[in-house]
Formats: sequence, C-alpha cells, structure tokens
Amino acid sequence: MDSSTSGGSYHTQPKWRKVAYGGMQPGFDDNHTDESFLEDIVMNANVVKRDILKVMLDSVSISEYLCIVTLVGLVWTYTLRSTLDENSLLFLDIGLLGSGFLILLFTEGSLSLSLLLHYILNISYFTTGLYVLAPIYQTLTRSISSDSIWALSVSLIILHLFLHDYSGSTVRAPGDVKNPSLTSCISLNASIVASVLIASRLPSRSHVFAIMLFSLQVFLFAPLVFYSIKKFSLHLHLLFSFCLVTITLVYVYFLHQLFFILLASLLIFVTIVCPYWLIRIQEFKFEINGPWDEAKLCFDIRD
Amino acid sequence: MGDQKRHRILMVSDFFYPNFGGVESHIYYLSQCLLKLGHKVVVMTHAYGNRSGVRYLTGGLKVYYVPWKPFLMQNTLPTFYGTLPIVRTILIREKITLVHGHQAFSTLCHEALMHGRTMGYKVVFTDHSLYGFADVGSIHMNKVLQFTLADVTEAICVSHTSKENTVLRSGLPPEKVFVVPNAVDTAMFKPALNRPSTNEIIIVVVSRLVYRKGADLLVEVIPEVCRMFPNVRFIIGGDGPKRVRLEEMREKHGLQDRVEMLGAVPHALVRSVLISGHIFLNSSLTEAFCIAILEAASCGLLTVSTRVGGVPEVLPDDMVVLAEPDPGDMVQAIKKAITMLPTIDPQEMHNRMKKLYDWHDVAKRTAIVYDHALSSSDQNLIERLSRYLSCGSWAGKLFCLVMLIDFLLWYFLKLWQPDENIEVVPDFKLTCNQDQGPMLDNHDEKT
Repeated sequence: MDSSTSGGSYHTQPKWRKVAYGGMQPGFDDNHTDESFLEDIVMNANVVKRDILKVMLDSVSISEYLCIVTLVGLVWTYTLRSTLDENSLLFLDIGLLGSGFLILLFTEGSLSLSLLLHYILNISYFTTGLYVLAPIYQTLTRSISSDSIWALSVSLIILHLFLHDYSGSTVRAPGDVKNPSLTSCISLNASIVASVLIASRLPSRSHVFAIMLFSLQVFLFAPLVFYSIKKFSLHLHLLFSFCLVTITLVYVYFLHQLFFILLASLLIFVTIVCPYWLIRIQEFKFEINGPWDEAKLCFDIRD
Repeated sequence: MGDQKRHRILMVSDFFYPNFGGVESHIYYLSQCLLKLGHKVVVMTHAYGNRSGVRYLTGGLKVYYVPWKPFLMQNTLPTFYGTLPIVRTILIREKITLVHGHQAFSTLCHEALMHGRTMGYKVVFTDHSLYGFADVGSIHMNKVLQFTLADVTEAICVSHTSKENTVLRSGLPPEKVFVVPNAVDTAMFKPALNRPSTNEIIIVVVSRLVYRKGADLLVEVIPEVCRMFPNVRFIIGGDGPKRVRLEEMREKHGLQDRVEMLGAVPHALVRSVLISGHIFLNSSLTEAFCIAILEAASCGLLTVSTRVGGVPEVLPDDMVVLAEPDPGDMVQAIKKAITMLPTIDPQEMHNRMKKLYDWHDVAKRTAIVYDHALSSSDQNLIERLSRYLSCGSWAGKLFCLVMLIDFLLWYFLKLWQPDENIEVVPDFKLTCNQDQGPMLDNHDEKT
C-alpha cells in the first residue's frame, strides 16, 4: 500500500485497478480478488419497512369486502328460500342506490345538476335493459341441476374474492386516467356470472330483475363507494367497516352456526394472523442490487 | 511458465458460427489463438440448418455440429442425459483433457460440463453475461448456473463486474473465478485511410434494436442532439422490434435526412459502417463486456456509452465518455464527446487498441487457467456429491439425484460400448499456411 505512494528507490508494486484492458496486470493473477470486490453491492435497497398496525388497518378493507360478499350471499339464500319477496328486494335496491349515491356526493363533493341528470339517464338505461333481459336470465339454466349451479356460483365467488382489487375499485370514478388491471376485470366478470347463475334459479321475472339489480349494484358500485369513503376519512371507513362486520356476523349466526365460525375465523385470519405473518417473513427478505443490474429507464416508453 | 503443457480442449456452446455474436467470436478467436500456441482445440455445437457433422475451419479447427436441433433462441432442448453418448464419444475420440463450456444460457454447455465432470474430466466455464436477482427468469437461470458451477474446476468471467455477479449467483469462492476479457481483431477493424471531414459530425450506432440495448434511450436522445447540433448526423445499423419506434421518432421530428437507418448490418460490413463516423454511441441497459465498443475504438471512433455492467472497465477514461442511462445525461455526454473530437487521432487510437487488447494475450491467459484446472486435485464421487448437496435444501438433493443418474448412465454406456471400442482420431499437423488465420497479423505489419 505505502510503496505506491512513496515510489522511486525500491521496486514498487503498482496498484490493482478494476479494468479489463491492457492485458494481465503486472503482479496480479487473473483470479486476484481485490478488497474492493463487491463493494458496490447494495442490499435490501427497495425494502419497505412495514408497521404491523398499518398493515392491520390496511387489511380492514379486505374484511369489509368479505362481509359485503357474505351479505350478498345471505340475500341470495333468503331470496331462494322465498323469505325475501320481490317487493322488499326492490325497496332494498332503491335504498342502496339512493344511499350509495348520497355517499358518493358527500365524499367526492362535486355536485352538479348535469352530472346528476347524466347519472339518472344512465341508470334508467341500465335498469330498462336488465328488465328486458330478465326473462332470458330466468330460463337460462333450467336444464341444469341446482347443485351444479350452487357449486359453480361458489367457485366463481371464490375466484372473485381472490382476484378482486382491494386497494382501489374496478369501476372508476369519471375522469380517472388509470385503467383497471386484467385480474380485477376477470374478478368483476366472475361475480356477474355468479349473479346471473343465481338469478336463473328464481321463480318469477320480477324476482330475477330485482336480484340481478341488487347483485350488479353491489358488485359494480360497492367497491367504488367504499373506496370513496376510505379516501374521504379513515375513521369513517373504520367505523363503517366495524358496523358492517358486526351486522354480517349477526346475520350469519342466525343463518348457520358453522358458517358463523368459518367467517369469524376467516376475518381473524385476514386482520390479525396475515399481517403478523407478513411482518415475520420480512426478516428473510434478501434483495441484492449492484452494477450488474439492468438499468431502469427513467421515462415512460409509450408517450 | 517454463515448458508449456499441451492441452487438448473441447469447447462447448450452443453458440458458434454461422451464428454471430460476442460468444461466437470469443470461442472462434480463442480457439484460433490456442491452436497457434500448440494446443489442440475441438469445438462442439449443435447443427445449424443443414450444417451438421464434422467441419474444419481455418487453422485446422475441428467443429462437431451435433445433429441436435435448436428449439428456442438457438438453444437445444434440455434433455439432461440425451447428449451423454455423443459427448463421451467425442471426449474419447479426440483424447480430450479438458472441457471448456461457454455462456450460461447454453443448455448444450451445461449438459456437456455435467457429463464431463461425471467422466472425471476437469471443466472450465466462461460466463459471458450478467443476470439480476429479481425476476423469475433470472432466479431459474441462477439455480441452473449454481448446479453447473457447484462442481466446475475453474470459472472465467469477461469483466470484473461479471465476476462479482457470477460469484454472487453461484456461491463459488472468488479465487476460483478468473477474469479474462474479450479482445478485438484489430487487423479487421482499422480506421479509414483518410479521415471523414469534421464539417459534419456523424454518430454511429450499431446494435440490435431491442429493449436491452437501450433503443428507447436512442428515441429520446437523437432528436435532442439533432436540435442542439445542426451539423450532426446519425447512422443506425441494426434491426429489431424497436426499429419501428426509431422510424416513428424520425418521422415525428422530421429528421429523415439526418438519421439514416441501414437495417441489419452483416458483421463483415460493420467496419465500413464504423469508419464513416466520428463518434460511436452505445446505449445498452446491461452489458457484461461489450465487444462493439472495442470494434469502434479500434476503428478510431470516440465512444459514448451508458455506464452499465462491465462497460466502465473496457476502455481507458480518455477513450470513452460515459453517461448514466438517462436521456439528459447522455445528451451531455455526446456534447462533451463533440468538444473532445478535434483531439482524437483515429490512427493513434487504433495503435493504442492494439496494445490494449490482443486475442493472443487472451489465449495465453486462458491457457494459464487451464493449467490451474489440470493441477487441481482429483475428487471422488462422494466428495463431489457433497458439494451439490450444499446448494440448497431441495435443490441440493435434486442436483445429487441428477448427478447420480448421470453416473449410472455413464456406467451402462461403458458396459455397452467399452472405451477401447471407440476409435481414436489421429492428430494431424497443418504444415503449410499455418499463419494464414483470419487474424492477418503479418499483413498488419506491412502497412
């Protein structure tokens, strides 16, 4: 080391350089490993430090949506058992539509008459179309056994839950630039197919119309409404979720105790076990970066 | 070194002539120079089209084009054991003492190295590319590499960055990894006799137009440079999926008369493209070594390049301008290169390159690696299996199983066709025209 600085009178050993040119470096073999070896390595540069409380709060969105889907399942079950008639279903539809609309107006804050008119026009098109199509839905799966339809619906709903976009909403507010991802679109479609299948087992045309309207309202717009609430205020979101979870658990308890236990354990798993698990496995995170990595372009390729 | 040992080397890779690229020319030039040093070299690759069987190239370089069709990106189908009989036959026929495999994504190379180790040969592996650690493809490749390198005798990398990468990926002790860079055939890449005039500055790009070569950076950089310097023209040689984007850029900014696109340039014509310019622009996003820069520098061009992978090690600082892979920084680097241009003498640069890079030097250094490999101690099967076992809790056991089956197959093969029944090829010496390789060194001295 010091010889290279003093130099001159005695044989100086030139310093090793990290270069490929000029042939073999005098005094060093090709397998020489310098002390600068791997000094440019960067470990775990992009790892996000996670806080268990934050992860748990984030997981509330998932529990909330699980409860919504469970509630839809409950409505389906009661309608199929004829506990709920078509009139109360229609009232439920109108109530949901109205309250969803109000929540959106309050949280988004942009109220204008033309937008309102635009929405009302769209909704009337939508309901008319659904009413016209209701007879087709009613006879769609007449030749298939109810068991198959239930099995298929349940699998579609599970697929829906797996692929659902819990951080945003597939149906975007007007003016949103980002397109929804493929998986979230598949998820939405799975839920709609499941609704059609369930509706096709119902006895009358008005039943079919009411339940289809209900399912579509929930699957299409509930994520948007809850997303708006969450964006508006986190406390409101937590309060809302808590109420929803309680109501769902009570209803499910009255339906079947086994389902209650299943749902309760699922909710505990999602909100407590999974966040803890995630924090634990963070310790094993081992990310290596260095000069050998492919450079990332700092601009958007498609402009 | 004293008295030279004569090695008998089998070079194995999926990539060889008539295919063209960095690995192909590395194997070719290395083999030619090793032949000149008195070693015996045989190349094994897969069949290219109807080019199948045994061929002789310049200088008596024997090439086995194994009739094994490529299935993806010039790679043979990975069958693990399918190549064992032919590898064994070639090893015995040619009395090979050492197997040298090239390139991490060549399946033929991995298989041949595995069979070579099973049969007790010393093996050397050269890694020509860099890999990250994040995406699924890289993770898979790294596991395969770990398997091959677990039992390799010595490994060679083309740059120090590549060595760091290989050591991390394979867990090999760093002292077993040598750095022997590529070189350039300076006789083939000579500057133009009369230098193109400097009234108009011509920037040359020769690369495949793909994402990894940074074609998207070019799309951002070229209009900006054309706007800043009215006397700059671009010549782009190469083809690829990103060519459309470059043509779009040319249309959009009305640069048809200032950006010339040549399409794919055959390697034999690369020099003629290079010598028509003053500055060579390399925009790669990842590069273990980059031979293209050497070719350009050898033609006397000043290089502007992205600072990625092993590129900063390739040339002395006064022969290259480096920039971060970011359009703004690259435009600044081109600006700097244009101001440096009057101080550059192509002929002087060419002469410097002749001193900096030489395939003969590469061959000598590789031969030292071979000496190291052959002087290392022999190991029995149990010792070697324990090395595989340490590769991972699941992968280790899997690797052991693969090796054990290979060993059994080799044993059956020996019973079925004993070594003595395989005819040995007689060596022949090229007596005349021995100097007339592709590297016309003697011609070079006349000029």
